[in-house]
Amino acid sequence: MVHFYESSIITTTDGLHCQVYSNEHPEGGLIVKPKYIPMDKISSDALQCRYLSGKRMNRLNMWIEQEKLIEYIEKFKKTYPQYFWVSNLHQNLFFIVPLNKIEKIYDPRKGLSELMQIPEKFLDIHLRKVYDFVKLVEKSGLAINDLGVTYSTLVGHYFSEHSDINLVVYGKDNCMKLLQFLGNVKDPRLRWKTDEEWLHFRNLRERSSTFTKKEFLFQMTRKKTEGFFDETLFLILGVEEPNETWFKWGGEKYIPKGFAKVRAVVTNNFDSTVRPGCFEVKNSHIKGMKHLNLTKIVFYSRDYVLQAMPNEKIEASGLLEKVLPINGMPYYRLVIGYLDSYLSGRRGKEYIKVIRK
Amino acid sequence: MSHFYESMLINTTDGIQCKTYANIHPDNYVIVKPKYIPTDLMDSSRLKHRFLFSKCMLRFNLFTESKVVNEVMQNFRKSLPDYVLEDKNHNNWFFVVPKSKIKDVPDARSGLRELMKVPYDDLDSYLKSTVDLVNILIEAGTPSEDIGIMHSTLLGNYTVGKSDIDLVVFGKKNGWKVMDFLNTVKHPKLRWKTEKDWLKYYTDRVVSKFYTPAEYVLSMVRKKDDGFIDNNVFSIFVVEKPDECWYSWQDLHEPIGVVKITANVSDDYNSIVRPGFYEIENSKIVKILSQKTKSGIDKAIIVKRLVTWSRPFVLQAKKGESIMAVGLLERVTTKKEIYYQLVIGYFDSFITGRAALEFMKVPVR
Repeated sequence: MVHFYESSIITTTDGLHCQVYSNEHPEGGLIVKPKYIPMDKISSDALQCRYLSGKRMNRLNMWIEQEKLIEYIEKFKKTYPQYFWVSNLHQNLFFIVPLNKIEKIYDPRKGLSELMQIPEKFLDIHLRKVYDFVKLVEKSGLAINDLGVTYSTLVGHYFSEHSDINLVVYGKDNCMKLLQFLGNVKDPRLRWKTDEEWLHFRNLRERSSTFTKKEFLFQMTRKKTEGFFDETLFLILGVEEPNETWFKWGGEKYIPKGFAKVRAVVTNNFDSTVRPGCFEVKNSHIKGMKHLNLTKIVFYSRDYVLQAMPNEKIEASGLLEKVLPINGMPYYRLVIGYLDSYLSGRRGKEYIKVIRK
Repeated sequence: MSHFYESMLINTTDGIQCKTYANIHPDNYVIVKPKYIPTDLMDSSRLKHRFLFSKCMLRFNLFTESKVVNEVMQNFRKSLPDYVLEDKNHNNWFFVVPKSKIKDVPDARSGLRELMKVPYDDLDSYLKSTVDLVNILIEAGTPSEDIGIMHSTLLGNYTVGKSDIDLVVFGKKNGWKVMDFLNTVKHPKLRWKTEKDWLKYYTDRVVSKFYTPAEYVLSMVRKKDDGFIDNNVFSIFVVEKPDECWYSWQDLHEPIGVVKITANVSDDYNSIVRPGFYEIENSKIVKILSQKTKSGIDKAIIVKRLVTWSRPFVLQAKKGESIMAVGLLERVTTKKEIYYQLVIGYFDSFITGRAALEFMKVPVR
């Protein structure tokens, strides 16, 4: 197993721009999601086309029409077989960048540290907002070294007027501390998404079949992981330090047991600030099944970050897995947002939500 | 000597971004001007900084007061000695990238090919204007494979509404065809600064001791390598194909002094590129500003060429026109002949202060 910070950006020798999708990785490769894929070999008219680094690129969006997504992923698999990996441990699919395919690593922490060294007068509108937002964030007690900046700001192809600010926070304690700070701080440039904005997001992510409007608004409006700073969308992306990852790659084996719906009570949400994230649960109940020792609900989609608080009763639907730890007793977990869920049709049925009386 | 297109970007193994500054280069080197230097290699509070490709970069710039330039150059030579070549044949120095330090060269031609394949509706307003301009150049008769995009347009770090659109045209023949076409074409999105605009620009920004307002306006208003497309500033850089380069790194250059000359342009064909030159006749040395030889400068010397390394003097005069210029007088010894030339815009002119004296103009009475 290898630690490599989630939310870092990697460009590959084949010209792909990938986003690191986990803090723990198998030997020989990094778990990623391709973000931009050159169109010279494969393309899809269902995907947005962008001109980046002198190349036409498709922006991979896992939420396009499923048939077109499957068609594209099939082409991807044939064209870039090295980036498509079936993990024997999971009996499931992952996008991966083999280490020998890494061209450049964009390090969010180094990037921000470089950015903050630039005299303010030389920053454009977007970078100035990032700079000012970081200055606000520093008031939480976090240091520049606890923070990073990623995606288009880091790589340099942002649009000055409308690109998001994607702030990486190193360490789960730091992330919690910052979210608490942002929830309390009063700053005229800071605002949270309105109900209307959240409902628009609900439509984009096809959440109307799994969340009523009321449920969705309850879940999202209490999170402080995204909002607006000076009318620019910001996202807080927590990542794990090497000594605090909640699982070690290779420390467990997973046997898929099919699609399931679970109800349980959250005992710990500390590991739910990161991707993949995890809620520890107790008193789980799966309809139509005998009592299983299900103790974790895991997600690969940032939409479920801090979705539930300790002691809250939740309902979740996803892939049930039997977990066989190298050391320890078998247990069960439910996983939301595996790559295969987007291809199998599970994506529209998976969710985690709080059950309110 | 080897060919390497001018106006291309080179990323070096040290993380420096350079722009090539000639079409023909000395063995093992590429003549460049450093554009962005990571601040961990060299820093100066006197120059602009930019956040590019996740690094804090220094915008290397010699167009600033000579005290600052000297300080910056001292720092540069100390921090990045491999990027300065002392060329014995020129008795001068040049910024270079040793070929062993080239990391990659973003491809202006393939970059444009890719851009032209992007559905027009998927482009932002800046890239739409770029495509519009390219289509105008194609309409001028330039083969699409002889057009490229450069700088931030190519790298993707442009700012919509602010960044210039920089196009490169491969081949002098193509370049002239484009300039002739732009001189006459009427296009709703194409706009040039008018005489009035240039006069205002002169009054607000230039105020030169070398040009009268009329001279400045004349020199600028007829150039068609800079203009506006849909209100975006554009620049067209013409570069030489391998079989049409005029420069030789084997010739011996002996600097003699700084002089003012008058002459008539007998050929302007090579004035469209950098370095470019004007073939001149009836030259007269009208003033000696400084001299490097003890024997002095013979005012009867016939100057055959006016060479420019500086883009503002590209397309500055036309065949048949009278010119006046100040620059470095050189005796050039080639395998076939010995002749004299006046050079404007060598890198050293920014350090020595000569750049402040150098100019070239078509006098207007």
